[in-house]
Amino acid sequence: MTPLPAALLAAGASRLATLALFCALASACDAGNRLVTANVAQARGETSVERGRLAIERYPCGACHVIPGVPAAAGRVGPSLERFGRRSYIAGVIPNDRQALERWLQDPPAMVPGTTMPDMAMPASVAADMASYLASLR
Amino acid sequence: MRTVVATLAGAAMLAALAAAAVVYAGVYDVSASTPHTQFVYSLLETAQRQSVRMRARSIEPPQVAVSPLRGAACFKARCEQCHGGPGVAPEGIGLGMQPVPGPLIDASGTWRLREVYWVTRNGVKMTGMPAWRLRMSDADIWSVAEFVMGLSRMSAADYAARMQAAAGERCSTEATASASAQRAGDPRRGRAVIAQYACRACHLIPGVTGADVHVGPPLGGLARRTTIAGKLPNTIDRLEDWIRFPHRVDPASAMPDVGVSENDARDIAAYLMTLH
Repeated sequence: MTPLPAALLAAGASRLATLALFCALASACDAGNRLVTANVAQARGETSVERGRLAIERYPCGACHVIPGVPAAAGRVGPSLERFGRRSYIAGVIPNDRQALERWLQDPPAMVPGTTMPDMAMPASVAADMASYLASLR
Repeated sequence: MRTVVATLAGAAMLAALAAAAVVYAGVYDVSASTPHTQFVYSLLETAQRQSVRMRARSIEPPQVAVSPLRGAACFKARCEQCHGGPGVAPEGIGLGMQPVPGPLIDASGTWRLREVYWVTRNGVKMTGMPAWRLRMSDADIWSVAEFVMGLSRMSAADYAARMQAAAGERCSTEATASASAQRAGDPRRGRAVIAQYACRACHLIPGVTGADVHVGPPLGGLARRTTIAGKLPNTIDRLEDWIRFPHRVDPASAMPDVGVSENDARDIAAYLMTLH
């Protein structure tokens, strides 16, 4: 009589162990998947800073400015944007904070009449991303 | 012999490490609320005296007309606020400074005329003593140096009388231009002059040392820029105008008019145009 329950117990234990192993593997896979997803998201520019950098590559910023992290940006019309996150003023006039920078990127002549920097009809979301990137240059 | 060298090298290394530890741990009190330690004070004072003596050695006495009235007027306008005078206390700016600016009443006991001229003209690093070379004519610097040398013989009443007599005089605000207005800019002089107009307080400028500041844009590569001040074509004439009168170009600009003379602006622009 006794061997049966023992065998049953052993079978149960082995099934539990299999289940535990499966669960462990599954959660590892899940974590792995999440890691991959995050990397893809980053590669697609899904953090604001990285999206901003990619947007700067798409817009003609580099025609006039040197911008660290954007190799093609080597323009000499406007000032270099190196360490722009630490710059005190935008266009030498406006105290450099995020809101002002976003507004500036969307319509420079509205903020500093006479500036050579043009209005590039930039959506607010793009300006926000670019501002994130520029603010990260410290 | 080898042991001696090794011991000396070891001791030197320990001393350097100790010095670095003192600096990085923030041990030294840099506040102007307490005086230097006597050791540091004496070290700085000796370094200053020897340096001034060395550098003023070959200065010839004035070739310019020295005016006692101008000397008094310049002392009142430029020196009294920090140094005070017989019967007159320094203002807050001088009283709150460490080391305390000397009273100059006994200056003739320590310094020669040419040394007072040198100090007035060139200033002394880290003491609060500014260089007046670009903001006073040479004649006025000699005049004020003569005035300082005479302070030890003045009573408080004499001093007050001298000041009253000089009340109508104005001290110069610019160095006398040494060359014709048509000369070409001198980049080497420009680089030296940049340090006297606080340009480097807001801008990184290759070739001029200073803090890691980003108040204004860095000026490296300025010669290759096509536009300056956000709107002007980058020519040497426009650059000079911008340096001298930023608010004529852009009334809203945060860049101040620091009173750059035409002569100095030409040299500064010449230097900036060497930055490729």
